Amino acid sequence: MDSIGLIREFLNDRLGVEPEKVTPQASLADLGVDSLMMLELMFEFEDRFAIKLASDLKTPQTVGEMVSLMDGLIADQKS
Amino acid sequence: MSQRRVAITGLGLVSPYGGDLADFFARLCAGESAVRYLLTDDQPRPLSIPFVSCPAFDADAALGKPLASMMDRFAQLGMAAAFAAWDDCGLPRQPAGESRDDWGVSWGTALGGTLAYEKGYRELWQKGRERLSPLSVLLGMNNAANAHVSIQLGLGGVSMSHTVACASSAIAIGEAFRRVRSGEATIMVTGGSDVPQAYGVARAWEALRVMAPGDAETSPAACRPFSADRRGLVLGEGGAALVLEDWEHAVARGARIHGEMLGYGTSCDHSHLVRPEAAGQIRALRLTLADAGLAADDIDYINAHGTATAEGDPVEVAALKAVFGERAAGLPVSATKSMHGHLLGAAGAIEAIATVLALREQAIPPTAHLARPDPACAGVDHVTAGRRQPLRAALSNSFAFGGSNAVLAFAAAR
Repeated sequence: MDSIGLIREFLNDRLGVEPEKVTPQASLADLGVDSLMMLELMFEFEDRFAIKLASDLKTPQTVGEMVSLMDGLIADQKS
Repeated sequence: MSQRRVAITGLGLVSPYGGDLADFFARLCAGESAVRYLLTDDQPRPLSIPFVSCPAFDADAALGKPLASMMDRFAQLGMAAAFAAWDDCGLPRQPAGESRDDWGVSWGTALGGTLAYEKGYRELWQKGRERLSPLSVLLGMNNAANAHVSIQLGLGGVSMSHTVACASSAIAIGEAFRRVRSGEATIMVTGGSDVPQAYGVARAWEALRVMAPGDAETSPAACRPFSADRRGLVLGEGGAALVLEDWEHAVARGARIHGEMLGYGTSCDHSHLVRPEAAGQIRALRLTLADAGLAADDIDYINAHGTATAEGDPVEVAALKAVFGERAAGLPVSATKSMHGHLLGAAGAIEAIATVLALREQAIPPTAHLARPDPACAGVDHVTAGRRQPLRAALSNSFAFGGSNAVLAFAAAR
């Protein structure tokens, strides 16, 4: 699964958000991701892709920002 | 500050029968047990016990997915019960106009988020994971239910939980009552919720040798309070809530008043952790009558603690006989735990609801499965089949491990 797929699955499972609303431009806050849900989402990424997020990570604002952040970390982890 | 009268304007629960409040009370009056055989797939040995579950409860449907996903099951059951009681009291969920800054929540739970922590231990120790979800703390904290209720209903006053074993929600209701009566709070949401099916919890109760045995066939009649052949208690999950309201506030807004809460008394046996003592129960009963301004003759029904343990039931009857004297023989008593089970931290709340409905409907639910009362429990009028009769006031008893006793007094609305 790719990053946006994971975000879609997570938001649908946890918040009932329809997958087609999860576009790169969409604001995570508008989709219902508050600070707690952001922690859960980051935890999910760490778990599924075996990556480690720095504790001072800048919190992404949009789905697209989150995808590029995670894709970068996943690529680093693989290299 | 002059004392306020305390109206009960909202009642709500997650019924083990799956229906609404009226259905719940009708089934209690019919003597219908909600106890079923529970067989889990737990490792290393499944639970195989009579139990009361709420199988029809769908947290996502009752609360919406985003809210349900932020809660452990004890908080889900509590929130659903609180929503039901709130909707019943006729106020909108979102504050509109009137300030709710002195409205609060007083909740009861014996186990709190035990199930959430147990899930964490399974992840770590059984599945070999090294980390837990960051939400675990918020799912597991014992004040999760009351916190969610305050947030969802916009209540700005006190928000607290009481943990007093089997008397948790009786004490929560009593403390809520005092705040409304004193004028500190205009409205209090109160009640309790618990999920004793946590594997470690149920196994621990089994080890105490106080749980009634049963299989698929015998489980519905496994809990037999006051009966000569009683074998112990049956645990159950659930949530039950009441809305207590300043009487004049309730009348001014034209609310339906189910009944009146008149008094609350609490004591501690201060003698033994698990062996109940009549003296402590007698003090709680007398404190409650005095607090309510009632005489023993005013009481027309007792909803007993009645867990169906060998030791507990005769002590409770002895306490009632001491307080009610000659009147005891004609005093209607029933233990509805025979049907809805022992909900631990929610027990006092579900029994308070049964008591208030008895007064409202002028009908007494029975102790089910009581064909042969134990001579050691004789001396009161055991109600063994649903009965209609005039009821003015009633008491609900809750006596906890630890020796804490709590008694609540209610009256029919007038």
